Amino acid sequence: MKKKQKFWSPYVAGIGLGLTLLAAFYIMGRGLGASSAFSVTAAVATRAVNPEYAGSLKYFAKYLGLESPLKDWIVFEIAGLFIGALVGAILSGSFRFTFDKGAHTGGITRLGSALSGGALIGFASRLARGCTSGVALSGGAQLAVSGWIFVIAMFIGGFISAAIFRRLWP
Amino acid sequence: MNSPLYQYGAFGEGTSLLVAVVIGLFFGFFLERGGLGNPHKLTGVFYLTDFTVPKVMFTAMLVAAAGVYLLSDLGLMDIGKMWIVPTFFWPQIVGGFVFGIGYVLSGYCPGTSVAALASGRLDALFAMAGMGAGSLLFAVLYPWLEGFYLSSNMDELTIPKVMGLNHWTVLAALCVIAVVMFALMERYERRE
Repeated sequence: MKKKQKFWSPYVAGIGLGLTLLAAFYIMGRGLGASSAFSVTAAVATRAVNPEYAGSLKYFAKYLGLESPLKDWIVFEIAGLFIGALVGAILSGSFRFTFDKGAHTGGITRLGSALSGGALIGFASRLARGCTSGVALSGGAQLAVSGWIFVIAMFIGGFISAAIFRRLWP
Repeated sequence: MNSPLYQYGAFGEGTSLLVAVVIGLFFGFFLERGGLGNPHKLTGVFYLTDFTVPKVMFTAMLVAAAGVYLLSDLGLMDIGKMWIVPTFFWPQIVGGFVFGIGYVLSGYCPGTSVAALASGRLDALFAMAGMGAGSLLFAVLYPWLEGFYLSSNMDELTIPKVMGLNHWTVLAALCVIAVVMFALMERYERRE
């Protein structure tokens, strides 16, 4: 069953990731993040389409009240993330254009699952004030209660939905 | 004690954005190299077929936690100036649960979807579009959600504070739990 590993040992990657997070704490006094980049982008996109409506959304005011909302630490960090992952994928020869899905999943089902799953993630990240990066990883490393309750709840939600959507990925 | 460097004015906002890109580079590189740009590996833990996610995640958390508390105890870093992820108990429980469902459906989380796109996975674009749409949905429904969103505020609560224990005791306990968990996962994966 085991193919030749093209990835690093998860423990080595985990140590690298941990040291990156530690550098963020030491240099910036904050952890890593990701989901807010999507939220800022959604706010800016909404404003581009309908400025009046975007202005009426109280939650987006924290972004749109700024002079240039996209000049944001997490947005720049995500740009770096993209380049770093691209470098990793190209150097290791694992870069390949695909539309990735489970072996028994059709293309339309995959499109729907990506969109709907993404929407749930976008919504849930706002409610929880962050995602696996900003709350789970960063909060968890601070031994903050937020990080650990989020991780536990996420695993419960994940196991229940994997039991329901049994053939989506394997 | 002169760190966190940014809080102590070592550099300005413009430089901080450059720092963001560099930190992001490493973040993305290690995610991709750990296999976390791959939705099969990302969802594997929930199907008990691949335990990469908990292995990477808990290793990273414990390494960073040990580093933070070590720097703090050695007087090299002012932990009081660090922004601690605040706890809003029920919103984070419900948010985490819904997040877990979205994670299995989409195969990604926000950071890993970007790493997946960078490795050529075009399905990640749809997950990313969904994340933007979900954020907008939250903003649209915010007037009705605000009460719940702001409820059960516990501020900068940490596990050592809740349990009244020294942070090294908590960290040691978490390390023991992680090592036992990793050993069980390795044994289970070998049997597969």
